[in-house]
Amino acid sequence: MTTNQVKTVGVRKKSFAQTIRFDKWKGWIYLAPALVLLLIFTIWPIYNTIRMSLLEGYTTMKDVGGATFQFGIGNFKRVLEYPGFITCLKNTILLCVLTVPISTFLALLIAVCLNAIKPLQRFLQTIFFMPYVTNSIAIGMVFAAMFNMIIGGSARPDSVGIVNNVLEFFGFEYINWINAGSEYWANIVVMVVYIVWNALPFKILILLGGLQGVNKQYYEAAKIDSTPKWRVFTRITVPLLSPMLAYVVITGFIGGFKEYSSIVGIFGESMGPVGNAYALDTMVGFIYRAIGNQEGTASAAALILFAIIFAVTMVNLYVSKKTDYTGKKSNAKKKKKAPSAAKAAKAAKPRKSINLNATVKPVIAWSIYAATLVIAIALALIFWL
Amino acid sequence: MAEIKVMKAKDMKKVSSRQKVGKVLGLTATYLFLGIMAIIVIFPFYWMISSSLKEMDEYRRAIPTLIPKVLDFANYVEVFTSEDLLLGKLFYNTLLVGVVSTFFSLIITVLSAFAFARLEFKGKNALFALLLATMMIPGELFTITNYQTINDFLGLATLGKALGNQFLITIGNWRNTYAVLIIPFLVSVFYIYLLRQNFIQIPNELYLAAKVDGTSDFKYLCKVMIPLALPTIISITILKMMGSWNSYMWPRLVANDEAHRLITNGLRTAFTNAEGVTDIPVQMAAVAVVSFPLFLVFIFLRKYIMKGVSRSGIKG
Amino acid sequence: MEIVLQNLTKIFPGRGKSSEEVIAVNDFSFTLPDGKLVGLLGPSGCGKSTTLYMISGLQKPSAGKILFGEDDVTDLSPENRGVGLVFQNYALYPHMTVKQNILFPLQNLRGADKLSKKEMMERAYEAAKLVQIDELMERKPSELSGGQQQRVAIARALVKMPRVLLLDEPLSNLDARLRLQTREEIRRIQKETGITTIFVTHDQEEAMSISDLIVVMKLGVVQQIDEPQAVYDDPTNLFVAKFLGTPPINVLEGKVEGEKLYIGESAVMDVPGVADQEVIVGIRPEGFVLDANGPLTCKLSNVEVMGRDISVVSTHEKSLNPTVRSIINADNKVPATETVSYSLKPHKVFLFSKEDESRIRFEVK
Repeated sequence: MTTNQVKTVGVRKKSFAQTIRFDKWKGWIYLAPALVLLLIFTIWPIYNTIRMSLLEGYTTMKDVGGATFQFGIGNFKRVLEYPGFITCLKNTILLCVLTVPISTFLALLIAVCLNAIKPLQRFLQTIFFMPYVTNSIAIGMVFAAMFNMIIGGSARPDSVGIVNNVLEFFGFEYINWINAGSEYWANIVVMVVYIVWNALPFKILILLGGLQGVNKQYYEAAKIDSTPKWRVFTRITVPLLSPMLAYVVITGFIGGFKEYSSIVGIFGESMGPVGNAYALDTMVGFIYRAIGNQEGTASAAALILFAIIFAVTMVNLYVSKKTDYTGKKSNAKKKKKAPSAAKAAKAAKPRKSINLNATVKPVIAWSIYAATLVIAIALALIFWL
Repeated sequence: MAEIKVMKAKDMKKVSSRQKVGKVLGLTATYLFLGIMAIIVIFPFYWMISSSLKEMDEYRRAIPTLIPKVLDFANYVEVFTSEDLLLGKLFYNTLLVGVVSTFFSLIITVLSAFAFARLEFKGKNALFALLLATMMIPGELFTITNYQTINDFLGLATLGKALGNQFLITIGNWRNTYAVLIIPFLVSVFYIYLLRQNFIQIPNELYLAAKVDGTSDFKYLCKVMIPLALPTIISITILKMMGSWNSYMWPRLVANDEAHRLITNGLRTAFTNAEGVTDIPVQMAAVAVVSFPLFLVFIFLRKYIMKGVSRSGIKG
Repeated sequence: MEIVLQNLTKIFPGRGKSSEEVIAVNDFSFTLPDGKLVGLLGPSGCGKSTTLYMISGLQKPSAGKILFGEDDVTDLSPENRGVGLVFQNYALYPHMTVKQNILFPLQNLRGADKLSKKEMMERAYEAAKLVQIDELMERKPSELSGGQQQRVAIARALVKMPRVLLLDEPLSNLDARLRLQTREEIRRIQKETGITTIFVTHDQEEAMSISDLIVVMKLGVVQQIDEPQAVYDDPTNLFVAKFLGTPPINVLEGKVEGEKLYIGESAVMDVPGVADQEVIVGIRPEGFVLDANGPLTCKLSNVEVMGRDISVVSTHEKSLNPTVRSIINADNKVPATETVSYSLKPHKVFLFSKEDESRIRFEVK
């Protein structure tokens, strides 16, 4: 019947049956370019990387030369026993554990302050977003210049760098931050400053968006109930913001574990101050340097990196799910708006699953998170010592 | 239940004045904090520009000047003319790679997002879930194999060597070509996801109405979906362009010859002599020149970037 | 606690350069007696919510004073006023359980008012019992129905024993059945606690049914303050007459000549003491009496049966509404003719000046 109607209208030339058969494939045709590329550059690499990681001592050169490799977990063992990799792991974890909490806390503070003011809010928001639109290598070089000393002939360098100038202005001694002979902690401080500076805009954007989404009436209600400011912050703002906080922390950790280009920006590809190359090497740096000569090791390291990121993400997701209550509210709204049975059923379904979570107190969830942080710090210390 | 203590009129005056003082203090502290943080945040940009306008002698001073005593544009002249940084070529390469890859990437993204959002076919949801799952995997994991792939695409180079066929060797080895900078990153699962979410929000009734009117899927996509999702598409375009501008590691691995080098790679090593001593003012001028297009983008297209970013967390 | 509003005025500055400022509340003076339930009634945008927010302290008046008993609280911020406010959409903290929500205000008490944990619990349960939600204490707001959320909101506002309880459109988010039930609850709770209570509503029936006093507002200006029945029976102007009553009052054009009221050509009623003039006539639907010889004749449209009563819908050329609707006892039979004639009950007929719509009073014999 439909066929007839369509025909009489004279728009469709194909029969209904043909249309159906074509429709079956149409989706795949639209997807074809993406799928071909994904197959070559995403799916195949997943398989191949796992394969290479399990072939002991694999290198492309030898493979092309016709060599065969023994199957086993030797690559993973080698990676974990290799002192260079331990340095990388230690640096990466240390940077993560330092930068994620600092940047999240600062971003939260800035976002809350921005949310509390009216004049200049737009202007300041724009300024705080500026570092996002930068080239992390290029601005890394600016930071390097700010911390850099220019050594002349005399005992004191010709120029100690603007940061040291500021320190001296406040009566401190100047510090060798990144030049030859600089100490590890100083290097780390520079990296933390740069990474936090770089990470702030994204976090502020997300958190401010979250804050502006919070119903103002909660604050009015709190005001009516004479709630002190700090209590409004800890009991209302932070819990209501927890989904965004979780998001920011997860992306922060993922970014942190993949830290590389900001270090290249400041220290160059030697990944450390002059005379102490690779002191600040990271896991990604390790992987890149193994590409082209030791693919087996590189693959194993990449998989370890993936495992760490995966684990951290899962823990964070678990925690954020426990503290998430926002889904329920939107569902309740949905239910009110949509009396139709189908929609109500849809709304009811996630409701049930979330109710389970609602019984777990956010306090517990956040303490799990805190515990994870402590474990991570402990790990970092163990590797360090 | 005891009634809340009633405050007496005298108390109230005290409370109300204390309240005012507290408010003013709080607001002052807030602005002070934001002001200091804002200065810290933009100081590197200021220092970059200020340093780039200084002569080396002024830059080396023990007590630095915040504002250059003499505005010296020689550094910029050097940036544009130096043999060390073939700026024209770098800009050309980066723009070419950026524009071409953004163009094709957009086509692929739109088509895929449309398929996932509107078309019905077997295995759609499973496929989409699989693609989303790959987003979890760090890019470095792909890079290892992709490096092999582009050295010997589909084994063509090896085959060519075996057969002594120069053509196959050329086809198989992508090193130091533009293609190697463009093709591996044409598909971004994240962009497909972003656009699909946007497409889904467009009411299905529009699609059904178009079907009833006999509009083909492709026409519907071009005439209805794309215009409605334009803000997201613009966001994707900007992020993709910025990605090309900022990419460092992959170009450095596979196309670091003078003919194909991109801007960031050129920048990192420029103006540092063999002893590792850097001419900072000139370097800062180069950084400023490279950052300038980004600032333009920031000033004029901030809205789209913020919109795209707030849903991503992926930089560039 | 007696609440006094003196010349309360709130002016919102216009947004942008071109638009003018908005006078939300204009010169509102009123003394609210202790322990009463007062309804602020008016259409949306009449300034009733603004008045409520000024009493709560969330908004500052542009002029005028607010006194709680002897104390001038005009410049006091909300946290120091000791008021309880129930928001229109309740504003329950979504991440806290019912118990935590109710405890929250108590945990803020400092100094001499500070309570021990045990006292807080007792007070919270006391408040919860009062609004009958003591069995839902461990639930989250999202797991409650609209009516239950409403009760939690009231409990949270009551638990600190506020000097004044303010309710902003407390019933607007509830469905019809719950609304009836909840308004009885509010009345009961107010009676039991004896807390001076002000609530805002745009629903005249709601205001009529539970208030001790009704304040009718229009465009920021108070129209009438009276007991519910008085507002209905003795409106001060056409607006008040129109705003109260379902079905609404019938409005017709008429004129007075020689102390007689004419609608069209026929003299329908004596109006002693009213000078000759054109007037607007308001007749309550229950003010009609079926009378074959009655002076007011309308064209019959249809008859709606409502059980106890019947509603006669007719038209009249002088009517300012599309129809004239009367409510009469179902015992009466409406004649199956093209027209229907009525005589009028004088105390259900109001005359209003054509110029300013104010009430023109006459003696009812």
